[in-house]
Amino acid sequence: MPESIDRDDLPQATVVPRRRVRISVVWVIPILAAVVAIGIAVQRVLSEGPTITIVFKAAEGIEAGKTFVKYKDVNIGQVTAVRLSPDYGKVEVTAKIAKSAAGLMVDDARFWIVQPRVTLSGVSGLSTLLSGNYIGFETGKSDRKQRNFTGLEIPPVITDGQSGRQFVLKADSLGSLGIGAPVYYRSLQAGQVIAYRLADDGKAVEITVFVNAPYDQYVDGGTRFWNASGVDVAVGAGGVDVRMQSVVSLIAGGLAFETPPFAVTGVRAAADTVFTLFGDQATAMKKPDLTGMRYVVYFDETMRGLSAGAPVTLLGLPAGEVTAVGLELDPQTANIRGRVEIVTFPERLIARLGQHQAAVGAALARSRQQRQVFFQRLVEQRGLRAQLRSGSLLTGQLFVAFDYFPDAPKAKIDWSQETPVLPAVPSPVTDLEAKLSGILAKLDKLPYEAIGADVTRALASLNVTLEDTSKTLNRVDTNVTPELKTTLEQVRGVLATVDGVLQNGVNSTLAEVNTTLGDLRRPLATADAVLKTTEATLVGRNAPIQHELRDALQEISLAARSLRVLMDYLDRNPEALIRGKAEVKP
Amino acid sequence: MTATVLTGARAGLVSCETCRLLSRPASLAEPGYCPRCGAELAWRRHQSIQYTWALVVAAAICYIPANALPVLTTNALGSSDSDTIMGGVVLLYTTGSWPLALIVLVASVMVPLGKLVALVYLLITVQRGSLGGTRDRTRLYRMVQFIGRWSMLDVFVDTFTVALVQLQPLMSVEPGPGVLFFAAVVVLTMIAAESFDPRLIWDPAVTRGNRHA
Repeated sequence: MPESIDRDDLPQATVVPRRRVRISVVWVIPILAAVVAIGIAVQRVLSEGPTITIVFKAAEGIEAGKTFVKYKDVNIGQVTAVRLSPDYGKVEVTAKIAKSAAGLMVDDARFWIVQPRVTLSGVSGLSTLLSGNYIGFETGKSDRKQRNFTGLEIPPVITDGQSGRQFVLKADSLGSLGIGAPVYYRSLQAGQVIAYRLADDGKAVEITVFVNAPYDQYVDGGTRFWNASGVDVAVGAGGVDVRMQSVVSLIAGGLAFETPPFAVTGVRAAADTVFTLFGDQATAMKKPDLTGMRYVVYFDETMRGLSAGAPVTLLGLPAGEVTAVGLELDPQTANIRGRVEIVTFPERLIARLGQHQAAVGAALARSRQQRQVFFQRLVEQRGLRAQLRSGSLLTGQLFVAFDYFPDAPKAKIDWSQETPVLPAVPSPVTDLEAKLSGILAKLDKLPYEAIGADVTRALASLNVTLEDTSKTLNRVDTNVTPELKTTLEQVRGVLATVDGVLQNGVNSTLAEVNTTLGDLRRPLATADAVLKTTEATLVGRNAPIQHELRDALQEISLAARSLRVLMDYLDRNPEALIRGKAEVKP
Repeated sequence: MTATVLTGARAGLVSCETCRLLSRPASLAEPGYCPRCGAELAWRRHQSIQYTWALVVAAAICYIPANALPVLTTNALGSSDSDTIMGGVVLLYTTGSWPLALIVLVASVMVPLGKLVALVYLLITVQRGSLGGTRDRTRLYRMVQFIGRWSMLDVFVDTFTVALVQLQPLMSVEPGPGVLFFAAVVVLTMIAAESFDPRLIWDPAVTRGNRHA
């Protein structure tokens, strides 16, 4: 039952006004700002590519935040930090690579610093003069991702994207070749050297060349590569033949290739085929000698100037070469003689035969028996002998010549030996020497001492003779001289008398001359008068008479002058009247 | 301390925000319009604290990309340089012109940050009903309001440079995304300062004073 409750006693519930939390629309602004900022951040994070480290020897022109990494001239990243390696020996460059290029960062990717580079074969990287250096990049073939790289010292030659093939050349030495050295095919640049390295055994250099697409099809299995550096000068009877690929190859070195017609295999060489690099074109294109026949020749003379590789000629034509020069010791006969091993190539001689004889020659080359018989006859009947001859007077290089010496002593060939011995004759040079020494020996035999004694004796007798002469002269001095003196005194007396006579003579002569002159004066006066009359009678100065007169007068005047000269002379030299005119003293 | 403060609101009066005329409101709920200039009267600005908070938060968010992103990208002869504000300060300092670096540091980094900090401080003190330093806080507010108009200096310089340096292809200057955020920070802080009602600084003093009285 319900109990009555006083409602007023109950506590009143409080009414708490509901707090209405009203959120203003203005909060959209910070939300928007947050969304944008987060959006940018997310985008940044998403577009973030890998960060790689490249180790360089030196960071030439590389600056953090400014240097780019470029692949095919497209920026794929930027350098973010440059610092020294922990051991201070190298430089570690940290670069941030774009996400799009992240897939390129593989194991064998290459990095290098691109800077202006002026080499003999060209100028590269000029754009970096303005933009600054950048890091060049070349991706690799590997699939493995890599984040740490080692930068290259020298920019590699880029071949990716170019079609062509790569070949390896083995050479004894690198020579003047460098990275980028051109490879020529018929004087067209067909490729270039892209790398070189020492062979694993250290005994050769492996040069990697890249032959560009249109030309690589001409690299055959039998193609020969040779070093085309420098100038190839050949002096022949036809003149001087100068061959040069290009000025670049002259300076920077270069290679060339060609397939000799006899070596064409018709099969294209596969990429990375190894070829031998020949020293020059002639060696490279030389037909290989198929069958070489070995012989030994013994010489009993000096072999100075004969070396392996020296030619062997038959009647002056190349027939082979010297393979070894040595000595042979024979203890039984106590003899040491020169031993020259030669190899002859019958093909070379057959190539010289006339066309219709080629078959005969070939048959001879094939059959050992026939060849031996033929040779035997040549040696025994015709006198075929080996001889050392001087190839060059300047260098003294010798070669082995085979010629006919019908007078040579008989010889035989022992075919049973593995390398038959061919007979030899002394060389003309040594012959001459022998003759000279013979003459010297004869000279040596002359009785020099006896001759000396004779000469001494002759000289002694000469001495005696001279002494006799001296004595004779002394006698002359003592006996003859006084007599001579008296004779001279007498002569002087005679001369004195002559002098007196002369003086008197001259004086009288002068007086006579004086009177003669006085007489002359009179006719002259008459002449004067005559002249005056003549002048009066003859009109005109140029009258012939006048002329003649002048001449006459001149003659007279000359006569008078002569007379005066005579007088003077006589005055000075009165003896002239007797002795005549004296010689003019010098 | 300031227990005897009497505000207009306490006295049942409202001042016009536009012409500052003190008038009697039409009613307590709806103060009505200013009899002199006709502007709408309000006891306190509508949701002042919430508005200010929102804008301050937005400005603070924008402040991060404004400093992180480049404000200027210079392309000169193929190389391009992107500079952030702090990067510019460092560059100026390292190249020896430290006075310029100081100016940029103060105007572009410290002033926006200072404004944000000042506004946050004012909001927190108002919300907590702090009594102390009311005068100083009012002065701080005035300073924030005054300095706001100078904060766009950076954006100005940026736009001028971009407009003037266009020597394609030798050299060109392009604005970076950072400058947008920087402008947003400046604008947002200015609006935030405007939406904050400084009268709120004094309200706790009145209520507290009355309670004590």
